[in-house]
Order: sequence, then C-alpha cells, then structure tokens
Amino acid sequence: MTLTAATDDIILESVDLKKHFGSGGLLSSPTVVRAVDGVSLGVRRGETFAVVGESGCGKSTLGRLLLRLIEPTGGDVRYEGQSILKLNKSELRKLRRELQIIFQDPYASLNPRMNVGDIIAEPIWLHKLAGGKEKRERVTDLMRTVGLLPTHADRYPHEFSGGQRQRIGIARALAGDPKLIIGDEPVSALDVSIQAQIINLLEDLKDRFGLTLVIVAHDLAVIRHMSDRVAVMYLGEIMEMSETDALFDNPLHPYTQALLAAIPVPSPSNRQPKALLHGDVPSPAAPPSGCRFHTRCPHARPVCKEQHPALEEAPDGRRVACHFWREIQGAGAGSISAPPPSPALAKRLALYQTWRERQDKAVTTSP
Amino acid sequence: MGHEAARQPITDIRGSGASASAAQPPLLSVQGLSIRFDGAPKGVNVVDDVSFSVSKGKTLCIVGESGCGKSVTSLALMGLLPTPPARIVAGTAMFDGRDLLTLSERERADLRGDRMAMIFQEPMTSLNPAFTIGDQIAEGIVRHRKVSKAEAMERALDMLRKVRIPAPEKRLRAYPHEMSGGMRQRVMIAMALANDPQLLIADEPTTALDVTIQAQILTLIRRLQEETGTAMILITHDLGVVAEVADEVAVMYAGHVVETGPVEAIFEDPQHPYTIGLMGSVPSLGRRQGKLATIRGTVPPAELMPKGCRFTPRCPFSDDHCANDLPPLGEIRPGHQARCWYAPLEQKRGAAA
Repeated sequence: MTLTAATDDIILESVDLKKHFGSGGLLSSPTVVRAVDGVSLGVRRGETFAVVGESGCGKSTLGRLLLRLIEPTGGDVRYEGQSILKLNKSELRKLRRELQIIFQDPYASLNPRMNVGDIIAEPIWLHKLAGGKEKRERVTDLMRTVGLLPTHADRYPHEFSGGQRQRIGIARALAGDPKLIIGDEPVSALDVSIQAQIINLLEDLKDRFGLTLVIVAHDLAVIRHMSDRVAVMYLGEIMEMSETDALFDNPLHPYTQALLAAIPVPSPSNRQPKALLHGDVPSPAAPPSGCRFHTRCPHARPVCKEQHPALEEAPDGRRVACHFWREIQGAGAGSISAPPPSPALAKRLALYQTWRERQDKAVTTSP
Repeated sequence: MGHEAARQPITDIRGSGASASAAQPPLLSVQGLSIRFDGAPKGVNVVDDVSFSVSKGKTLCIVGESGCGKSVTSLALMGLLPTPPARIVAGTAMFDGRDLLTLSERERADLRGDRMAMIFQEPMTSLNPAFTIGDQIAEGIVRHRKVSKAEAMERALDMLRKVRIPAPEKRLRAYPHEMSGGMRQRVMIAMALANDPQLLIADEPTTALDVTIQAQILTLIRRLQEETGTAMILITHDLGVVAEVADEVAVMYAGHVVETGPVEAIFEDPQHPYTIGLMGSVPSLGRRQGKLATIRGTVPPAELMPKGCRFTPRCPFSDDHCANDLPPLGEIRPGHQARCWYAPLEQKRGAAA
C-alpha cells in the first residue's frame, strides 16, 4: 500500500455533498430523487479510492460531482484545499486538465467522427500543451504507453475492440497530464481477460505518473484488488468507509456484510446456502425513513426506522453508519474468505505466469 | 455425423462415471455441432465441432467471452438462429430421441416454450411493453395446452407465486416497466417454466443484475430446478456463477470447446491454457497477491484465425505445431477433456520453465 505519504494529505474532498434531481413538472406532483445525500469523504494523494454500491446508489453521480461535471445541490467539493464550485470558466478549464474521467462505455464516450490520433490530441490542443510535431510525438508516446500501436492513429473508434477503445479513453485522459483520474466502472463492460489487462494498465500508469485514482464500481473483487480504501454507498449515503483489507476481513455495516455474502465465490467445493437480502433497493425518490437500509436489514430494530444513524468513528480510522454496528460485528456474518487455489491450479498458474513473461519478452526483443 | 465413434467418450461427461446417472441417457446430447456465417472465410466456423450433453436435473455451464459462440450455440438449439446468415453445417442435437436440427419449423415451434424454454440476459427487451405480465405468461400456456384463458391466468398466478414475486395478484396486471430488473427476470423465469419444460437454456440470466439480486435469482433457479428436475444449460462469462451452480462445465474459446469436465475438475485441476489464464485474470476475493495474470491480446478476427488451435496467438505455451494442427479434445481423466497438445502442462511444458 502506498500510504508512506502523510495520510492526511487530502487531494480531493467532498463536504456534505448533495445532488437532488428533478422536481414537479407542470402537471405532476414533485418527485425529488436524492441521488447523493450528504456525502463527506477525502481522497488522499497517491491512493486508489473506491466507491462501491448497487445501481441507483448514487456512485456515478458522486463521481461526476467530484469533477463538477454536474452542479451540486448543496455542500462543497475541494481540490487541493480550494472549493471548485466558485471557479470561473478559465480556472475550471485548468482544473479539467488535472482531474480526468474514464467512462464505462468506451464507445459512447468517443466521438465516432474523429480518428484516434485526433481524439487523443484534443486535450493537448485544448490546453495548449504542445503543437505541431511535438503534439504528434506526444500522441505517439501516449498510444504506446497504453498499449496501442501508434500506426493506428488514423483509424476510427469503430475499428477497435472494446478493450482497445478503453485504452483510447485512458490515453485521452492522460493527455493533459492529470493529477487525479476518476474511473466510472472502467472495466465492467469488458470481458474477463481484457478486464485484467486494463486493471494492470491502470495500476502501471498510476505508479508511473504518480496518479491518484478514484474508482467507481460495483464489482467487489475488482475493488479489493485495486483499491487502498473503500466507501460503500446505499441510496445516496455512505454506509461504511474503511481501508480495503479491513473492510473485506471484517465488514462492520450489515449492508456491507450482505454485499460481500452475495458475491459468488469461484470455488465449487465451498458452495453453501447464503443469507440473502430480501427485496430490491427502494426508490431513491422515496427513501425509507431513519436508516435507509432498515427495510432490507436483517438486524433492524424499531429505532432504525426512526433515527438516522450518523457516520460515526470506529477503530482504525474506519467509519460506519449503523446504530448497532458494535453488536452486529460479533454476529460473524459477511467476512469473506476466498479459499486458496487448489495445488494443481496454483502450480499451473505459476507455470502460466513464467511462460507469459517470456511471451512478453519475446515480443519486445523481436522487432 | 460420420465421426460419431471418434466423439463417443464425450457423451459420458458425468464425472467419475460411477454415478447412477451414467446409465441413464442424457436428455440432450449435442454432437459435432458446426455453425457457419455466410461470408465468413473458408473453414472458419463460428461454432466448430462442439459436443456436450446434459442430463435430467443437472446444470451444464458454458463459459466463454464475447464472440466465443456460446449464445449462437444456444440459439441454434432453440431453433432461433436466422438462416441466412447462419447455417448449421454439421452435427446432431438429440433431445429425447429426436434430432432437433432436422425438425420442421412447425415441430420446433411446438417444442419451444413447452418442452424446452429459454431465458435471456435483458429481461426488459424480451418482455412486450404493451401487454401485462399475466397476459404474457398466459399466452405461452394457451399456445401449448388445451386450456381456457381463465385457466391459463390461474396458472400464470401460480407461476408468479412459484418464483416468489411479492403480491402476485397485483403483479399479474402490471406492465413490465412497472417492475425492477430483478422482478422482470423472475417474470421471465416464470414464463419459461410455465409449461414445465424438460430443458431450460439461460443465456447470461444474471449479468444485468446487481450482486444482491443476482444471488436471489441464482438461489431461485437452483431451488426451482430441485423442485422440477429440469435440466439446465447456463451460459455465462462469470466464473463465480459457474462455481455456484454448475455440475458440468464446457469452456469455449472462439467457437471451440477447449475444455470440458465436472465443475470440480475445471476449477481445481484446469488443463487448458485458456482456462488457466481466465482464472488468473479474475481478481481474487482474498488478500491481494500481486498483479493479475493476463491473457495477451484479443480474439483474432475470423480472417486471421489460425488453422490449428484458435488460442495459439494468445497462448504463452504455443508453437508452430499448435498454429497448424488442431489438437483433439484429449482425455485427461474420464469425463475431463482438454483441447491442447501440451496438457498436462507441467509434464510437457514444465521442464523448460
């Protein structure tokens, strides 16, 4: 873990951030969707911070708010200690260079009428970082960095596969020398083998350019693999925030426990009946009173229906929003133990890795 | 069809072979199925020489990534493959004594939704937005059974109860858009099971769902299968789902079955480099152990498909032999087969490492 830097070196911070969508139309009664409702978090410099939750929990909205791609209803976002909500247009443009985003669907986020070279060159041109020959060299460098062939610069997005398109999106995000990249489900539309390639690429780039990553995702295995800290969201609020290993080894909030229990474990010998959550996520337009999770919570008591739990401090710098987390903790639910790979699989994986490295070497040495 | 003898071993993919079900013929037995798309380069079938079988009450998982032919295979079995462009060029699919691939369109329509049924990935696009849930479930019952509309509606209500939809009487009159994704998938399952099919094909049934809802649906499917004894082919790309529900597994890559066997064998003793690479690509749920293993590159386009093993360009172990000659689906152990010249790898590729 890269926590050698001061743990309080916060690069991006949200304070009681709120985003409410919609209101009454002319003929309809007002419905307000509280997509993000009072989220406070701080992202430390150089870490990978993950936001996890099911669809409709507000995680993507939060990602967009952190970049001010949409305007919040309330609260504040601070980058390097300064509010980004009061910036004027030219200041905001500078900020856009330092904060970048990668989207889930790489095809929908690339202009089909521009060739790849132009797509990657656009931020360089926009921020006046380089021109002419130098610009072209930078594009070539970037394409090589993300594992694309520079000779493909004159091709169009539709000529690439999903994984390659995601690489284009990453190259474009890197073009302005960003400090922080937000990935909104950056690998969830990709096949497993391509997903692994992109995860490794993001990690390499993070080390190489000293980036801070914020990953918004629903796949807990990906999050465990990539992130240093995790915030679990449910219906617009943070339920639990913790270091990644602590969260997976000992989830405090009943929602986190349920989420972990629901993951299919890739080991056929460990099949066991699961404690399932009942029902669906309630509509964020009419969230339950008190604790928003109480309608599905196996531990709910009358007070949960009435009182909204605060995100309180727990040991080891963790935070949890539950009235009864101390008692529930002992229930032993949730913590997820992936069985180690079988000896035969471990042996073959090691063999595979050895040959795989050799395969990479053969590629780089041969012209 | 002439190569029956060569493929004989695969009909018994019931694990050790000692189980009682070995005596009973499988419900569905697919042999040497090859499907070609018009305009594809010569010799490159989108599905090539695929064989598998499923027995009553058992689940076969077909795993593979996009473009491996898993959905095309299932559509062919259901008779839903549009011809042209797709053509079945070889193979048989014996379902309860009849070859599905030679049936007339009318006979297939009689089977579909009755003795075999299918669930799709995206429940919203497979439901008609203009009709109520009850109407849509009842439609299939009226088509295949001699019952009145009222009786069919009664049966539809039963089915909604069976798939544990809350307030089923109310839901019977609801439209698809009024339901959540998980509830819609339950409706799809109710519809598929309404006529007690012997075979259920589920194509990525939980991929579009959240993880807590996915767990609910998988549990439901398993419970219903225990109650009804339906055989199931589940198509997925998620190894976690496979480990949870499969009895047998077939791993597909670019139209070939590259490895097949009982689920324990596939997970604990995987043989094909693609299977191994796939397992290394999935992040572990345990503490992090270094970088992920990856599979290099992507599936080659049809015109660049190698003549031999189609995994050759991405495989770390491959050589010219692999590129030129297609390896047979060789037996590792009774019921466990891998299509690789170098399996088991530690014996044939271990020394050089």
